[in-house]
Amino acid sequence: MEIVALSAPAVLFTAGMIAFPLVYTVWLGFHSFTSAGEQRFTGVANYARLVSDWEFWHGLWVTLVLYVLSLALQLVLGIWLAVILFNAKRIHGIVRSLFISPFMMPPVVAGMMWLVILDPSLGAANYLLQSLGLPPSDWLASPTWVIPTIALIDTWQWAPYVALIVLGGLQSLPPSVYEAAQIDGASGFRTFRRITLPLLMPTIVTAMILRSVDLLRFFDIIYITTQGGPGNASNTLNIYGFRVGFEFFNIGYASALMLTLAAIVFGAVLALNRLRHAVAW
Amino acid sequence: MPIARNAAACAASIMALTISVTASAADFDWKKFQGKTVTFLANNNPVSQAILGYKDEFEKLTGIKLKVDSYQEQQMRQRLVTVMNAHSDEVDVFMTLPSREGEQFAAAGWYADLSGMLKNAASNYDAGDLSRALLKAANFRGKLTSVPLNIEGPILYYRTDIFQKCSVTPPKTIADVEAAARKIKSCDNGVTPFVSRGLKPAVAYTFSNMLHNIGGTYVSNGKSDLCSAKGKKALETYSGLLRDYGPPGVVNYSFYQISALYRSGRAAMAFESSNELRTMMEGGDRLKDTGLMPFPAGDAGSVPTAIGWGMAVSAFSKQPDAAWYFVQWASSPEIQKKVALQGIAAPRTAVAQDPEFRRWLDEQPVRKEWQAALDVLAAKGSSEVGYPIVANPESREFIGQAVQDLILKQKSVDQACADADKALDGLIAQK
Repeated sequence: MEIVALSAPAVLFTAGMIAFPLVYTVWLGFHSFTSAGEQRFTGVANYARLVSDWEFWHGLWVTLVLYVLSLALQLVLGIWLAVILFNAKRIHGIVRSLFISPFMMPPVVAGMMWLVILDPSLGAANYLLQSLGLPPSDWLASPTWVIPTIALIDTWQWAPYVALIVLGGLQSLPPSVYEAAQIDGASGFRTFRRITLPLLMPTIVTAMILRSVDLLRFFDIIYITTQGGPGNASNTLNIYGFRVGFEFFNIGYASALMLTLAAIVFGAVLALNRLRHAVAW
Repeated sequence: MPIARNAAACAASIMALTISVTASAADFDWKKFQGKTVTFLANNNPVSQAILGYKDEFEKLTGIKLKVDSYQEQQMRQRLVTVMNAHSDEVDVFMTLPSREGEQFAAAGWYADLSGMLKNAASNYDAGDLSRALLKAANFRGKLTSVPLNIEGPILYYRTDIFQKCSVTPPKTIADVEAAARKIKSCDNGVTPFVSRGLKPAVAYTFSNMLHNIGGTYVSNGKSDLCSAKGKKALETYSGLLRDYGPPGVVNYSFYQISALYRSGRAAMAFESSNELRTMMEGGDRLKDTGLMPFPAGDAGSVPTAIGWGMAVSAFSKQPDAAWYFVQWASSPEIQKKVALQGIAAPRTAVAQDPEFRRWLDEQPVRKEWQAALDVLAAKGSSEVGYPIVANPESREFIGQAVQDLILKQKSVDQACADADKALDGLIAQK
C-alpha cells in the first residue's frame, strides 16, 4: 500500500504527460481554425478531407516507399556489418566504434554534411563520379533519385545501429548449435542461412520495430535537405503535416494528419510485435 | 476583402502618424517602466543579432530587463503560433515579416496596434524618416502592426571580370540578362551563367520581382492571374533562365547554395537577397570583381521587391507600453545607425545619408553599389511577395510548384499556370 502511495505521483505525472498531448491533438483534429483565430467544432470533417486530399495519398505513398527501401537496405547492410564485426576478432575497439559512429551524429549535422557532399555543382559526390568517367547526378534535386538518395543517407546513418543490435544477438547465440553444425559438416553459408538467421530473427524483428517507428516518422534529414522537394517528390506524410500545421497554420487538419500517421506507426508496431512473438525461440 | 486594402486610408494614417510624432514631447521618460521585464521572441538572424549586441544599453537606458527568446526563423514561428493560439502573455515583442505573415497574423488579431504608441515616441525618434513603403506594408486595415528594422530585397550580383572577358555589358533589361547568360555560357563553360532561387517555398521571393517588372500581377478581379500573358511570360522567363543557364540541381537552391556558388567563383550572375552581401564577400575573393544592381527592368519598368523584418507588440501582452519602449529603442535612429555599420541596411534615409555610414560605404566599392541598389529598392520597392492574402505562405508553395514544373519540364506553361491558378483561387476564396 505504501509503495502504491509513494509511486502514485510519478505514475500520474507520466500518464498525464502521455495522455494530455494525445487527447489535445484528438480534440484539435475535430476542430477547424479560421484565420481570425476562431475555432469551430467540425466533427470528422478534417478526416473526410484526408480521403480526397491528393497530397495526403501522395505523402503516404512516399512515406511507404521510403520506409520499405530504407528498412530493407538497413537490415541487409546492418546484418552484414554485424557478421563482419562478430567474426573479425582482430578489429580494434576504436575501429569498431568508428564503424558505428554515424548514428551518434545529430541529424541536422548529418543532413548539412550530405547536402554539401551531394551538391550537384560543388559537391564531392559528383567530383568523384566524374573522376571515374561517370556522368554527374542531380542527387537530391532529381525527382527520380531523391527518394533513393535519402534512403541511402538514412542507411549510412542507421545501418550501424542495426548492426549493433544484431551484434548483441549474435553474441548471445548458443555455441553448442554451431558445434553440432560443424560436426555435421555444414558449410559457412548453410550454417548462416539455416542456423544463424532463424536464431537471430527475434533480434532482427526488434531492430525492425525500432527502425520502423523512426522511418515512418521520417522528418529531419528530409526537411534539411529537400523540404519535401523537388516538387512533392520527397513530401512524406510527416513533412506534409508539419507544413500544414506550422507553415500554413492549419492546426486542425495537421492534427488529423498526424493522428493518422500515429495510427499507421502504431499498426506497424503491433504487426511487427506479433511477428516477433511468432519467431521467438 | 483583404486584397482590396484601402490605399488612401493607409497613406492617410501614415501621414497622420508622421505629423503627430513630429509634434510629440521632447522630455521623454525612458525610465517610466523601470524594473519591468519584457520578453522578446527573436529570429536568430543577422538583424536581431546586431540589435541585441546593444541589449545592455537598452537595459541601462530604461531599467527594463530584456528577456530574449531566440530561435531560427521557422522554429520562432512555431513557438509564436503556440503562444498566440493560447492567447498567452508569455511574449511581449516578436519579430515578423509583414510581407509573409502580416495578413494572417493581423486577421488572427495577434498584433497590437502601434499607431497610438508611435504618436507618443520620443521627439528624436523621427518616425517620418522610416521607409514609407515598409510602413505601408505593415499597415493592415488601418492598424500599424510592426515597425521596420531593416530593408532588404533581391538584387543582382554579377562578376565584372567574367563580363569583361566575355564582352558582356551590365544588363539593363530582362532580355539583356538572358542575352548575357547565353553569351557567358558559350564563352566560359566553367561558370554557371545565372543562378537564383529554385527551392519551392523560396521561389516567390525572387520570382515576384520578375513578375512585377514584366507587368504581371498575382491577383486580378479577385482571381489568380498567373495564366495571364504576363504571368506566363514571367514563369517562362524565370524558369527558362534557371533551366538553361542555372546550376544542376537548382530546384533545391535557396540563399545558402546560391551564396556558396557565387562566393566560390562558380557563378557569373546571382539574383539573391541584399542581405547575403556579407556571405557572398566572405573570404574577400569576390570583393574586387563584383558589381551590384537592382534586377533589370522589364516591360513594366523596374519594380524591385523590398521587404523588411519588423518588430511587433503582442496583442496579448499585459505590458504593451513597456514592450513598445523596446520596439522604439530598437528602431531608433541611433541603434539603426549602429547596426547599419554592421551591414544591416536601415529603413531610414537619415542613416543612409549619415557621414559615418557614408565613410563605411567608401571603404569598399561593392558597399557603395549595394547601398545604391538598396536606395532604388527603398524608393520603388513593392512588398508583394506571393499573394496578398491570409494564406500567403501557402500561396508561395504553388508559385514555387509552377516554376519547378517548368524547370523540370514536367508540365507545359499552360498546364503549370492553370494548376497553380486553380489551387490559388481556392486559397483566395478562403476566409
